[in-house]
Amino acid sequence: METFNHIINGFGVALMPINLWYTFVGVLIGTIVGILPGIGPSASIALLIPVTYGMDPASGLIMMAGVYYGTKYGGSTTAILIRTPGEAASVMTSIDGYEMARNGRAGAALAISAIGSFIAGTLGVVALTLFAVPLASTALKFGPAEYFTLMLFALTAVASLSGKSPAKGLLSTILGLMIATIGIDLQSGQQRFTAGIAEFQDGIGFIVVVVGMFALAEVFRGLEKIHTGTSDPAMRITGKLWITKEEWRRSKGPIWRGSILGFLIGILPGAGGTIASLLSYSTEKRLSKNPEEFGKGAIEGVAGPEAANNSDTAGAMVPLLTLGVPGGGATAVMMGAFIMHGIQPGPLLFQNRPDLVWGLIDSMYIGNVMLLILNLPLIGVFVRLLYIPSGILYPLIIAISVLGTFAINGSMVELYLVLFFGVLGYIFDKVEIPIPPLVLSLVLAGIMEQSFRQALTLSDGNPTVFVSSGISATLVFFSAVSLALPFLIPRLKLVKPEQD
Amino acid sequence: MKSDKFIVLATVLLAAIYWFATEQIKESLIGDPIGPKAIPRLLIIGLLIAAFLLWLETLAGTKAKAREQASNQAVPGDSSAPEGPKGIRGYFFIAAMVLSTLGYFFVFNWLGYAVATALYLFALMTIFNPGKSTANVLTATGFSLGSYLAFSRFFGVQIPAGVLPF
Repeated sequence: METFNHIINGFGVALMPINLWYTFVGVLIGTIVGILPGIGPSASIALLIPVTYGMDPASGLIMMAGVYYGTKYGGSTTAILIRTPGEAASVMTSIDGYEMARNGRAGAALAISAIGSFIAGTLGVVALTLFAVPLASTALKFGPAEYFTLMLFALTAVASLSGKSPAKGLLSTILGLMIATIGIDLQSGQQRFTAGIAEFQDGIGFIVVVVGMFALAEVFRGLEKIHTGTSDPAMRITGKLWITKEEWRRSKGPIWRGSILGFLIGILPGAGGTIASLLSYSTEKRLSKNPEEFGKGAIEGVAGPEAANNSDTAGAMVPLLTLGVPGGGATAVMMGAFIMHGIQPGPLLFQNRPDLVWGLIDSMYIGNVMLLILNLPLIGVFVRLLYIPSGILYPLIIAISVLGTFAINGSMVELYLVLFFGVLGYIFDKVEIPIPPLVLSLVLAGIMEQSFRQALTLSDGNPTVFVSSGISATLVFFSAVSLALPFLIPRLKLVKPEQD
Repeated sequence: MKSDKFIVLATVLLAAIYWFATEQIKESLIGDPIGPKAIPRLLIIGLLIAAFLLWLETLAGTKAKAREQASNQAVPGDSSAPEGPKGIRGYFFIAAMVLSTLGYFFVFNWLGYAVATALYLFALMTIFNPGKSTANVLTATGFSLGSYLAFSRFFGVQIPAGVLPF
């Protein structure tokens, strides 16, 4: 009953005119960011953080969450019209969505994408509402050892699942943790790796890293593309922006299945929307009576993946809000935003700030309705954004990144660092080192080291504290499995044919 | 991949530098059983493990390629082939981008945000959006002045005014 009251009060917060406005601004920016190539949800949220400093934390977080789930809607537009996903999770949509557009059904592809996203997004938030409190109550029993092993599991899972090479994922994770060790060690008061630079004493801000590695690096890649001359022309929206009865009949099942699959995968650390949409696509192809239509414009190949990558965002909010552990790059930046507003996500948030957490969750219901309106009748307006020349767009993103970073501390050192991380992100992309594990470990490092040292202090330095309880032992086991499996699976595959 | 071998070497080198820097940290064990060096030391082990695993992956990749070569007698699209002019052009491109952005940062305080940004944007737009000078000038100056006024007046952020009187 108490939870029910909190949910109702949450709607009171979400429906306040100021918060409705920020929900709208957030989902609008999200849609634009999703449509435009060159800047993803992580960098957009990071760039918005300085703008939200003066705001009430609830309003600021509602706006940033709007950007996060709004990008998923916008990302499908470019996937369908120019076969270039606006964000990574729309990659599967680009296969059949673009083919539908080529067959003169661009309107139907965009419509089913928006409807599927709305249904899945709303179902995802319902599931988040139902899951949040039980999980938060369980997490309240966690001590420092359990917290440390939980974060260890999140990092190993993300390291293993990001990119093609698990070793590079691990390397990226370690580099993130190393960056986080720069600054004054809060427990001993000693300086670590500051090299005598005063600005380094407070550590390297995660915004600097995120803006550099996500926004600036993406701009460098985009400008390089212009330099070498490779881009697809945008398709015009053809056909009515609605679907036929037959198309709806074929899409219903994939939307339901995609919603459930996306939410469950979203809860797991590391998996994310791209894997959710990939699994949804392969599931629909397997279940279809006409699998040969996939890749040639099957509407199921748009409806399922779009639903999966939208409910994934609600699933990803579950560990972030209830455990304080983000499962990917964008939620890691969201966690950074919480911390910069002086709020620690986790189980205590539901006890200490129910207005904020339920206001945020309830705003997602409203945001999804707004997104449906923005992405159906107004889609023609947004599509015009695709015709902005990249040669104008990319330089503007650099200027926004510079302004956003400088606005935080007014530090020139941070601008040089943004450039450094931009180049590093560009190099990482060239050599296929995934960036999300670095950002995630950077955000988690502080609390992870604190939990590690607290657990050892409480146990008088006995390292068995990390396997002394059932929860922490299980998490250590899962961490080891998630690290080992990617290395073992290819070997098992190699051995099998020889046995045959 | 050829670059993976360089990553392995770079990681080992980084581990050595990080180890050296870790040893310079002053110890203070009051109320802390492990001290400020413990986590960096664990990270050095982690770095070396990552380098070792990547080396194993590189070896496995080389063996797989050798098998493929033996069965096909030819390897189309060999990733270890020397880079063509496009790859080299990419390096020059990124170097030019870094230098121009450094130049922008050098004049950032002196000229002020609005003027420095307008010049930087106009230069980039002239290169990447050629033949549209009017649109480039209007966008560069409009964005720079608009964002300067919005942030300095509306959000109250301290941004260098430089040569501008306001």
